[in-house]
Amino acid sequence: MTTATLDAKEIKSVITSPIADNNPIALQILGVCSALAVTGKVETALVMSVALTVVCAFSNLLISVIRSQIPSSIRIIVQMTIIASLVIMVDQILKAFVYETAKQMAVYVGLIITNCIVMGRAEAYAMKNGPVMSFFDGVGNGLGYSAILVAVAVVRELFGSGSILGFTILSPINDGGWYPTNGLLLLPPSAFFIIGFIIWALRTWKPAQVEETN
Amino acid sequence: MKGLREYIEHLEPHFEKGGKYEKWYALYEAVTTIFYTPGHVTKNASHVRDNIDLKRIMIFVWACTFPAMFWGMYNVGYQAVDAMSVTGATSLEGWRGWVMGLFGAEYSKDVLSSMFIGALYFIPIYATAFIVGGFWEVVFASVRGHEINEGFFVTSILFALILPPDIPLWQVALGISFGVVVAKEVFGGTGKNFLNPALAGRAFLFFAYPGDMSGQVWNIVDGYSGATPLAAATTGSMKELFEMPFFEAISSTQWQDAFLGFLPGSIGEVSTLMILIGGLALVYCKIASWRIIVGVMIGMVATTLLFNSIGSDTNHMFAMPWHWHLVTGGFAFGMMFMATDPVSASLTNKGKFYFGALIGIMCIMIRVANPAYPEGMMLAILFANLFAPLIDHFVVQANIKRRAKRYVS
Amino acid sequence: MSANNDTFFKTIIVAVALCLVCSILVSGTAISLKEQQKANASLDKKKNILVAANMYQKDIDISEAFKNFERRFVDLETGKFVEVTNPESFDQRQMAKDPDNSIAIEKDEAKINRRSKVASIYLVKDADKVKTIILPIHGSGLFSTLYGFVALEADKQTVVGLKFYEHGETPGLGGEVDNLKWLASWPGKKLLDANGKLALSLVKGGASKDTEIDALSGATMTTDGINNMLSYWLGEDGFGPFLARLDVDKGEA
Repeated sequence: MTTATLDAKEIKSVITSPIADNNPIALQILGVCSALAVTGKVETALVMSVALTVVCAFSNLLISVIRSQIPSSIRIIVQMTIIASLVIMVDQILKAFVYETAKQMAVYVGLIITNCIVMGRAEAYAMKNGPVMSFFDGVGNGLGYSAILVAVAVVRELFGSGSILGFTILSPINDGGWYPTNGLLLLPPSAFFIIGFIIWALRTWKPAQVEETN
Repeated sequence: MKGLREYIEHLEPHFEKGGKYEKWYALYEAVTTIFYTPGHVTKNASHVRDNIDLKRIMIFVWACTFPAMFWGMYNVGYQAVDAMSVTGATSLEGWRGWVMGLFGAEYSKDVLSSMFIGALYFIPIYATAFIVGGFWEVVFASVRGHEINEGFFVTSILFALILPPDIPLWQVALGISFGVVVAKEVFGGTGKNFLNPALAGRAFLFFAYPGDMSGQVWNIVDGYSGATPLAAATTGSMKELFEMPFFEAISSTQWQDAFLGFLPGSIGEVSTLMILIGGLALVYCKIASWRIIVGVMIGMVATTLLFNSIGSDTNHMFAMPWHWHLVTGGFAFGMMFMATDPVSASLTNKGKFYFGALIGIMCIMIRVANPAYPEGMMLAILFANLFAPLIDHFVVQANIKRRAKRYVS
Repeated sequence: MSANNDTFFKTIIVAVALCLVCSILVSGTAISLKEQQKANASLDKKKNILVAANMYQKDIDISEAFKNFERRFVDLETGKFVEVTNPESFDQRQMAKDPDNSIAIEKDEAKINRRSKVASIYLVKDADKVKTIILPIHGSGLFSTLYGFVALEADKQTVVGLKFYEHGETPGLGGEVDNLKWLASWPGKKLLDANGKLALSLVKGGASKDTEIDALSGATMTTDGINNMLSYWLGEDGFGPFLARLDVDKGEA
């Protein structure tokens, strides 16, 4: 495939299909670990989403550009090196410009290196497709990840702390309000339940995603 | 009665496939089978031991909780009156005080008055658990087109009994919803759940609203909160009681109060005696497995003795003897009614011992070693629920190996 | 893809080239952003100290507000001010791990095993007069060690404020040490009771005296942890000797 076969329709499908039809978290169940850790607040979820989308898009782009030069024996190491470099750069930039949020996210930005979505797209798509399409594929998968992450974070922050993006919506009892905050939602495992409910809803909406029973 | 039957039969065609109210068949079936035994009862292998079907089992378990339930109501009233004599309050707050006035009921510690006060706390909790639990059962039965299962009778009573009496009703509704939907219906409904739904609901509330659920929960009379024995034990205030020799300890009033159930605590969990009565009835009818109960006891006593012999200067829980572990917290109730839930426990006979022992060990480990959770029974049972299939697997594998060996020789 | 990618030389060349390019990119970013990151970290620390001293407001110029703060070093045993060789890089947490610069705690209330011999404190001064004393404290909670500052008025006995800047307690329970409403209940509380004994503590079921603060509901272990660290750090083994020595009018100890 060369860049000549590009057309707008294909780009659109590459970007949108990972959001609902082929969501990396909800259908492929990849990258769940970070979805548990950073979804306590919408703010951290958003920063994480942007970080992952950028890393995924650019790692796809770079790997696709040099794909015909990569010796297959060190294929995975080459991909890891590129991804790791990008992640470190993103981490440094976050620490320099959004220090407060970066502090809350602690090691989880660094852990994008081990996020299966990024590795998965690099190996499954960027190694076989042109740079532009690979870039948009990275963007699309980043957006699919972001959609779930932000949805989980909205539920957790709203019902766990009574606020969204730090703005109080349900005034919590601990601050003198009326809303008894749900402590379970402040704990990372609650994201499992919410992701489970999202998958349930998604598969009810699109029954094609239901796996066949064996 | 003949008229009722004819009326029900007259309605039936509307609810069968193709009828007007086809979707509501589950509800119709549930209501009519309260009056009449259906033409078809469960005949599967797991139930052939008697002419008992799943429905009868469920109703029998329900009845076996009655001693603990009635005692729980009595004790809630008793403790309320006791607390009122400390704070000097003359009537209960809110609608309960109004109802008491309406009936001219006395605030006294005699059995009937206390039970009436207790009922004002317990009945709303139970009704909420029953209605909300039933609602989800009906919804899922209707959508999935299966019959309503009486499992939620048991789930709702067990759930109501392990709650503190002052719990807000919306939390009851939330807890039972989580228990029924996430722990049971998601996995396919009664018989397919690998966790005990009542405990899962309790665990949800425990983590979501810990301030209302653990430690010093007893404050149904304003301004008075008594510590549960487990909460008191962690602070070391029960040191002398723990150091008593066995026979002296069990003849002390404190231990007997705990054994009989004159203590603040979750409604149905306070009286070890009443729980044992109900539980032994279950064992006698072979609904609850004695193997699990023996396993839990062995695991608990062994782990307690181990901790006793290790000892600790800073952690007072190390010194707690087994006869105190038995009568505090949710241990007895969990052992008799929760661990023995046939669906979420191990199925093999040998496996039941291991399953029970795991619960006993984990319960004491959590109680003694984990500073954050004074009560470990709930988490121990849920933990063992997860391991039940694995335990069964190993028991079956071991059996296959043993028999294979015998075949070769 | 060309078939000769897997030759020995090609593999080496690709690997070396990739490593070179990546290391240049990574180190370039790291070096060019280092100053910015350092500034952020120091601003964050200053902000936490300002919060403890109850002098922080939104949109305040942190560096400007921090100008009145003076960093001093205290020998905890004698309570005297001391000079350290390299004040910029002085790290009390690192010192506590170094056997030469720390002591093992005998009566380990705060459950921290060792503490540094020298502590770094901050004074807010008006000319020579001390207005606020800001002391670092730390100790074990339920799951983590809590690090924070407690600020006292010049009378050495009235609390100005408290702030934990690092902890890993359960969100919603022990994590409520960050709750602004709870933190706002600290200013004005007294260290000592009528008998002159250290009495500042968290109590369950509502604070009634001016040495009492509401406990964190549902977080017994974190509450106990804070009580223990207050008792340790403000007591004789902690900043007790220093507080006794400190001359607030001259700013000397």
